[in-house]
Amino acid sequence: MEPIQSLKQLKQINIDYYAGAHTAKQSGKFVAYVNAFTPVELLYATDMYPVYPENHAVIIGARKLSSEMGAAAEAMGYSADLCSYARCDFGAIKTGRSPTWGLPKPDLLLISNSQCGTLTKWFEVLSRLYDAPMVLLDVPHSSSGEPDPAAEAYLRDQLEDLVRVIEGITGRSVDWDRVREAIRKSKQASDLWTRVLEAGMARPAPITVFDQFISMAPIVAQRGTQVAVDFYEALSSELESRVAQGVGAIGNERFRLFWDNLPIWPELRGLSQLLEGRGANLVTSLYTWAWAQLSVGEADPLTDWVRQYLYTANLHFEYRVNRYVEMAERYQLDGFVYHSNRSCKFVSQDIPEVRRAVTEITGIPGVILEADHNDPRLYSMESIENQLNSFLDLLESRRNKG
Amino acid sequence: MNNQDPWGPFEQVMKAPLEWAGTWKKKTSGCVIGHLLPDVPEEIIHAASALPTALEGAGVGISRARAHIPSYTCNHASGVVELGLQGALAVLDAVVIPYVCDTTRNLGHVWNRLFPALPSEFLRLPKRLDFPSARDYLHAEYTRLTESLARITGHKASENDLQAAVNLYNSSRAQLRHAFLKHREAPRVWTASRLFLLTASALRCPREDHLEWMKALPWDAKPDHSDNPPVPIYVKGKVWDPPQIFRILDELGFVVAGDETVTGFRSVAVDAPDREDPVAALVDRHFAMIPYVGYHIDPGRTITGLVDRARESGAAGVVYLNPKFCEAAAFDVPDGRKALENAGTPCLVLETSSGSSSEGQVRLRLEAFREMISSELL
Repeated sequence: MEPIQSLKQLKQINIDYYAGAHTAKQSGKFVAYVNAFTPVELLYATDMYPVYPENHAVIIGARKLSSEMGAAAEAMGYSADLCSYARCDFGAIKTGRSPTWGLPKPDLLLISNSQCGTLTKWFEVLSRLYDAPMVLLDVPHSSSGEPDPAAEAYLRDQLEDLVRVIEGITGRSVDWDRVREAIRKSKQASDLWTRVLEAGMARPAPITVFDQFISMAPIVAQRGTQVAVDFYEALSSELESRVAQGVGAIGNERFRLFWDNLPIWPELRGLSQLLEGRGANLVTSLYTWAWAQLSVGEADPLTDWVRQYLYTANLHFEYRVNRYVEMAERYQLDGFVYHSNRSCKFVSQDIPEVRRAVTEITGIPGVILEADHNDPRLYSMESIENQLNSFLDLLESRRNKG
Repeated sequence: MNNQDPWGPFEQVMKAPLEWAGTWKKKTSGCVIGHLLPDVPEEIIHAASALPTALEGAGVGISRARAHIPSYTCNHASGVVELGLQGALAVLDAVVIPYVCDTTRNLGHVWNRLFPALPSEFLRLPKRLDFPSARDYLHAEYTRLTESLARITGHKASENDLQAAVNLYNSSRAQLRHAFLKHREAPRVWTASRLFLLTASALRCPREDHLEWMKALPWDAKPDHSDNPPVPIYVKGKVWDPPQIFRILDELGFVVAGDETVTGFRSVAVDAPDREDPVAALVDRHFAMIPYVGYHIDPGRTITGLVDRARESGAAGVVYLNPKFCEAAAFDVPDGRKALENAGTPCLVLETSSGSSSEGQVRLRLEAFREMISSELL
């Protein structure tokens, strides 16, 4: 099938991003290590360059270096049961090997635990290593997502304190006009990313989730910049054109599937080929949609961040199940593929019950693949292929029974 | 109960804690509230006229739980799910799950699905121990828990009830701290097995009774003076596991100089201070305890604090009891170990609750560790 042309821009976008990270300090900027659910727009307003150690780990995995890096981390004393992103990061620091020339030393480590608690411990290690200050945005989890005014007050206090910390490190006051400008760009990029994801509703879907995973880099690492806006403008336009022409991502789309959890980064190509060979198209996922929900308003961004981290990013069970049921209808899904990701307890431990709940409500079957997002030593591709083939046989027989 | 054996009452509780709770329930018509570890404020449960009983999953063989929670989940969570699926928790009127890590967060979700008829409370403990308004948040959470338990037990705890509970638990902890001192002084009588029998049973029976039973213990046991004194160790870990570990420590000649387990010294080290507001006193206590690995403080202090505590205890070495799949604990080990060894304190890291480690292996490693640190002491 004809490849998506816009994706060719990504190589240079990523090179420029990491080059910018490495030269940030030369141009008078500061470097902050962050994770997804942090208010990066505040950082842009004080010339802090956000760097994502997770993104770096993904590149290590995609370049098939994660076994080596994982082993190096284990030789340092880190358990092989720890998140493979973190082990890749530690291993790259230890060995000095990295596809992005490593990462620049941080001036600040900023994370929110609405994404996971693992990141807190990972960043604590880095804080000690680099002797850099760390700020945790502690986002209480209410289990069922009901309003929690006490949690809102606590989180808001933390965000206000974060502003003071950033100003203390940079010696600059937060320029709220620049924050609003970054928020505008984030919203533009998020809206365009949403269009990319919604293109998957077309039959045939013009983009696979595998290509969505690859295209995520700018919305993850450069949300709030013109780079992300320009890239997703190009990508969404191209996809809309493909939809208009009936061009699908795979030749013969027979089954439309949902992917739950992070990808198995080292196996994107292999899985993509297997599924395409069976006429199965991964048309949507939990992971890609997370980045469509991170924009806030300009009027009161602190309040918006509070609500976003507490009630959306926190991935409450009912919310998750309801989203999947809704997506089953919007995307006309035939099946759910759940990645039980050994390195991501946050998303994975609920999966057996999520699968049950979604199938009970929709009647749509799901298969659970036990794997890992970045460490190929922790799974067997043969098993995964067998499971997927059996699942597709099931979908085939359901269709034949009609 | 055997009146002549002062340890008998505690052993009776621990022989079958949930059955014991069931007997209590029949006698009193009270409610039994199960809680996972750590850091569920038992005083609040007690003040609601209920019996708090700790639930531990370590050592439970996992079978049915695997259909509901993945294999890379620690035994502490999986084991409690397994107990629930086996029907072993039928005596409980409710469960409190403390949110201290990603696993307990997800356990809250899974629990509600699996046991919808058993009310559960998800206690949203704040993670930023150094942040001032985390205390306000925790105060609100404790108040919410108080109100929720009132609905379950039918008894709304008054301020007097809470203050009485605070006073009771402070008294109990003071006596348990004394027991730790006796263990150091007279380990042949106050063995590790007996010491941790006391702390474990305290978490599973009425504190008034426990305090009363403790009066009969051999507090007048003379200090041991031996040519071969036991080797003091400091233990860093979540729970004591495997269960045989106390016997192994006693047999190999170790004495526990200090520990940070949630069922050990950490659970008794700090009292609730004297405050007009008993909930505020419980909040103060929470923030004064040795930080649990799932909480966040200045990262440097996470390590230097451990080194200081180990040194102050007079321990000759540190033993890590790291539950398999506990990320929070495992991330800290390399830096902790390096800092301890740089400070001249040898370390041993034992992975526990893995299902594949045996008593024999644990014994062998502790034996070798004792030899190593004993030769350094000479």
